[in-house]
Amino acid sequence: MRKWLGLALVVALVAAPAAAQALKGKVAVVLDVGGRGDLSFNDMGFKGTDKAAKDFKLTMVEVQNATAADYLPNLRNLARSREYDLIICVGFLLGDALEQTAREFPTQKFAIIDSVVDAPNVMSIVFRENEMSALIGALAAMAAAHHGYPKAGVVLGIEIPVLYHFEAGFRFGMDWGNKKYTAVTGKPANVGLLYTYTGSFSDIALGKAATEAMLAQGAVGVYNVAGPLGIGDLEAITEYHRNKGTRSGPPYYFGVDANQDWMGKGMHGLASGMKRVDVGCYMAVEAVVKGTFKGGVVSLGLKEKGVGISRYEDLLEFIEFGVSAGALKPEDIAETILNWQANRKTLPDWIWAAIDELEAGILAGTIKVPTADSLVEMQAIRARYTLGAP
Amino acid sequence: MREGRLLRGVHRTHTGVHPALESVLAAILGLLVGAVIMLLWGYDPWQAYWALLKGAFGGFGYEIPTSVARGVPLILTALTFSICLRAGMFNIGAEGQMYVGAAAAVTVAYLRLPYPWHLLVGVLLAAAAGAIWSLGPALLKLTRGVSEVISTIMFNWISRFLVFYLVAYVLVDPRQAQRTVRIPFSARFPILVPGTDLSAAVYMALGFALLVYFLLWHTAVGYEVRAAGLNPTAARYGGISIRRTVLLSFALGGVAAGLAGAATTMGLPPTYAIISGLPDLMNLGFDGMAVAMVGRNHPIGILFAALFFGGLNAGGRVMQFYGENPVPLEMVRVVMGTIVLAMAIPELVRIFPALVRAGRALVRRAGPAQGEEA
Amino acid sequence: MISAGARERKRDGYFLRAEGITKVYADGTVAVRDVTLELRPGEIVGLLGENGAGKTTLTKILSGLLPPTRGRVVSPRGPVRFGSPREALDFGIGMVHQHFALVGTFTAVENVALSHERPLAPLALAATRAGLERLMAESGLKVPLDVPVEKLAVGEQQRVEILKVLSREVELLILDEPTSVLTPLEVDELFAFLRRLRGEGKSIVLITHKLREVGAITDRVVVLRKGALVGDVRTADVTKEELAQLMVGRAVGTRAARAVELSTEEIPAHAAHGAAAARGPGVLHVEGLTVPGDTKPVAVHDLSFDVYAGEIFGIAGVEGNGQSELVEALTGLRPALKGTATIHGRNILGLDPRQIYRLGVAHIPEDRWRLGLVLPFTLAENAILGVHRWPQFRGPFSVLRWGKIHAHVRSLIERFEIQATGPGAPARSLSGGNQQKLIVGRELAKDPAIVIASQPTRGLDVGAAQYIRDILVEMRDRGRAILLVSADLDEVLALSDRVAIMYEGRFMGVARPEELSRERIGMLMGGVRG
Repeated sequence: MRKWLGLALVVALVAAPAAAQALKGKVAVVLDVGGRGDLSFNDMGFKGTDKAAKDFKLTMVEVQNATAADYLPNLRNLARSREYDLIICVGFLLGDALEQTAREFPTQKFAIIDSVVDAPNVMSIVFRENEMSALIGALAAMAAAHHGYPKAGVVLGIEIPVLYHFEAGFRFGMDWGNKKYTAVTGKPANVGLLYTYTGSFSDIALGKAATEAMLAQGAVGVYNVAGPLGIGDLEAITEYHRNKGTRSGPPYYFGVDANQDWMGKGMHGLASGMKRVDVGCYMAVEAVVKGTFKGGVVSLGLKEKGVGISRYEDLLEFIEFGVSAGALKPEDIAETILNWQANRKTLPDWIWAAIDELEAGILAGTIKVPTADSLVEMQAIRARYTLGAP
Repeated sequence: MREGRLLRGVHRTHTGVHPALESVLAAILGLLVGAVIMLLWGYDPWQAYWALLKGAFGGFGYEIPTSVARGVPLILTALTFSICLRAGMFNIGAEGQMYVGAAAAVTVAYLRLPYPWHLLVGVLLAAAAGAIWSLGPALLKLTRGVSEVISTIMFNWISRFLVFYLVAYVLVDPRQAQRTVRIPFSARFPILVPGTDLSAAVYMALGFALLVYFLLWHTAVGYEVRAAGLNPTAARYGGISIRRTVLLSFALGGVAAGLAGAATTMGLPPTYAIISGLPDLMNLGFDGMAVAMVGRNHPIGILFAALFFGGLNAGGRVMQFYGENPVPLEMVRVVMGTIVLAMAIPELVRIFPALVRAGRALVRRAGPAQGEEA
Repeated sequence: MISAGARERKRDGYFLRAEGITKVYADGTVAVRDVTLELRPGEIVGLLGENGAGKTTLTKILSGLLPPTRGRVVSPRGPVRFGSPREALDFGIGMVHQHFALVGTFTAVENVALSHERPLAPLALAATRAGLERLMAESGLKVPLDVPVEKLAVGEQQRVEILKVLSREVELLILDEPTSVLTPLEVDELFAFLRRLRGEGKSIVLITHKLREVGAITDRVVVLRKGALVGDVRTADVTKEELAQLMVGRAVGTRAARAVELSTEEIPAHAAHGAAAARGPGVLHVEGLTVPGDTKPVAVHDLSFDVYAGEIFGIAGVEGNGQSELVEALTGLRPALKGTATIHGRNILGLDPRQIYRLGVAHIPEDRWRLGLVLPFTLAENAILGVHRWPQFRGPFSVLRWGKIHAHVRSLIERFEIQATGPGAPARSLSGGNQQKLIVGRELAKDPAIVIASQPTRGLDVGAAQYIRDILVEMRDRGRAILLVSADLDEVLALSDRVAIMYEGRFMGVARPEELSRERIGMLMGGVRG
């Protein structure tokens, strides 16, 4: 440990001034096996790095991985070339490979999203997903109580610690929403939680199946916490509406990472828990360019605008994102906005005001959203906010 | 050993040229088609192929060891397919047998033993698990006449979900729920070239390939396997028990696949564990079938084919970020697929009758086909 | 509805005529030689001949499966040309093959619907079923309609096949050896049905080699020998003896005369028949042996015989009368149902081939490509098939001693004059004769007490065939027992010290060759025990 500290010090001394000097003009973004096209996590990492590269006139190189066994060789390839000012790893699963590479190439700057790699040349960017998940949870609970639905659902991916942030925040938010609803309307609200870890960040069919099961149990909507599985979640919700013959209203889809409200022409996406991976990537590039890059953990929450609940301005930005990804046709933009607005109108204004109130409370520090980083902590939170579970 | 002796099992080719030459010609054809595809989509094939070559075989300190490392599990899964094909069966089950082998290898994390005994125990566990898993389809075939094509594919799914379960609930690291416990240092294959993925697992793959070669071409047991594969009725006439050759080849193939599982968990940095969803194992078994085709189902051919595949893979990674207009991974995979297909075609054509036979076996008839009496 | 063929029949006296048909296969074999034949309505024609006489080829040409090399098929309206069996069917010609073309897991109704290319949808199936039920009522051929055909008896499967063809309203029905898979009762039923069809004015061709059947049902009999038409007579005008003569060749008693006749393929008689007197102790003893067949429950019936050291015991007969099953049972390739078989007093039934070889049995199999050789293997690899575990070829840890094996092969190449580039050459690169020499060499190198040789010279040129025969005789003279099974009557008669004629799994008679006249042999082969 002592040895490492010493080494870190030397590296910091040598590396810091060098960074302020000449830039090589290239950044790389390494995506995990999910790859591009998820319209959320990976695409956001690409989007943020791409924007930063354009703003700072750098060349951006995108590297994908066919299998998890490619992570380490790819990082080594990039680091060995010594052509990159910064190598950004988008995703928790790259953590092990980065830990190794960062040690092998101590003068190379790295950033990683969603994982903490303890090395002086790695900026570890993590998000306080519990904060925006609390907003979504509160919204879901109040929406369910308002429409008379007994449950709200969360479909999660692989049970990794990052996802505990979401679950913890969502539980807290639902509890807050139940109480708020009772306080405002005077009617008791006991909306319960349905949640499932599907074990996958890629199998869309699993998302659809999980959602169908939750809808059958009376869920007012489903919060997607599994990247591409959201496509399956939304498919299930859309089919549900088609069978019912409704165009808006519950059940709702709650997107994640990106603003996914526009998906499916904005008909069922009520709000998204945005985790601005793009903001994180942009920040890392900016730090390198401005010479302020340093290793360590950077935590982004509501305050840093690293996370948030989607609003109208976000919708416009991400509609553009969807169009450029080819997932939304330009001629459908107007219809999408109208659909989205109509869907939002299915909830009374006081609920939206309550969400603003919760957000303000978190920002001001008067409301503390709990979080969990391990199974033990998570179990404690599950025990505290049981939400209908025995 | 002279090459001529080593390659004795390679069959004559349809084109009439030497198999090695035929493979080279096929590779050139594949590269040309790949170049045309890249040109059509606006990429510079020369630059891309230069990147591929440099990335694959550009140096002994990094590139070549990286390529070799990537080929290690493919050698083993290719052997699984080839051993059984030599015995006259289509074993599609390397994928599932490898999963089971990998899961078995991870269990050594719960043992405390000194190196190298710890490593050895892990390797043996993986080999045994692969072999036991492969006996399912073998016994189904022998006792119930179930086509091994169907049963091995089904067993792949069973093992996939079984290992999903084991990873998520049994072998899971309590602090890192996305993966299993890590294999301790005393049970890891030492890294041969620092800064690369190349571990001593390569010796295991190499040794097993040579063992298979020796077994098939220099022992009576292997002779029986090959005879049964080429002409089962003549083998029976020659007093060879088909039951025995089926069991033996399946078990040996299972051992190979199990070792592939060991190589990817105990011999591949950085994780030394199975990640939930098996993203580091997925498709190695199926890729092995392509390697077997390119290597003409001969253990020595497979060694070269696996090196070639490892090189394609390692070089393909470099194509993604080399030069002014790098080739995205999706396009890299299209080009790789083209090259591999071109190289597999000669062997696919050669074993086509056997493929048809396997297909026919699935569609049973009341009697034999129409009499061809002249 | 009336088919095109039926309309034509009314205008003229014949339904179909083959004119000067010749068929030469790609390998140069002349299967049919200038055959002219007329088929008339309301008539059952027997097509008689030995194996390889061209019966099947001729009918395949008539039914559109094969195009003729020369000649044409004519209907009263002019020449007809069938590009496929389907076109022939549309014209009104249907053939029932020895091996059925049925989908085992489908029912009779589904199989018939399939042959009409009708969808297997309930409605179409109902129509097919109605048609079939009507046909069954008319024909008297009854089959279960809703059972997968693989669950039916072979006779029933054949009826499905016949119904399938009849449902296409054929005018000419060709049946290839239809009785070979039937029980006697089923044969009677089939014949009754064929007579009824004849009464309806259909034309029927029955391929057979059984003289009794020819006499029982046909109106006219056409005899083919070596591809040529050697007889076309009314059944009533001919005796069985005459037919037997036509089928197997001219009635010649003496060996010298036979040699003259078989000028292209003369087989010198191996004078040592007198050696029978000097024949040694019994080697192979078979008693009450009953063996199942692939399609019939019993292929070999209660057979008993002995083969002695120093003799060639020949089994003649038309192929498919149980010879293959007998050989397979004696060499461990097919389990027997009943009986005993011993070599030097030691039981061989139930042993696997390797154990039987160890008792001193050499087996020259009837099909060298299917059984005798692994074609992609080298000469060396083929030369140890069956003996690969013998200590001279296999060292410790099961390691093959390639050096010794190669030396062994080189000596075989020399001794048996095998034309090959060396022990490493693949067996498939050898000519048929050299392949057979390799097998013979391998088997004789076992130094066997008995050689079981099945069709040992089939497909070989005259020189190679003679070489193999000489070797068999030499082995006999050196005191080995030889069981020779051959469809080549001349060969069996020339080589054997005793001949058995096999028919439907039984021996029709065992005798010294000179005691048998050819017509008598023809009768026995045709199942008539004069």
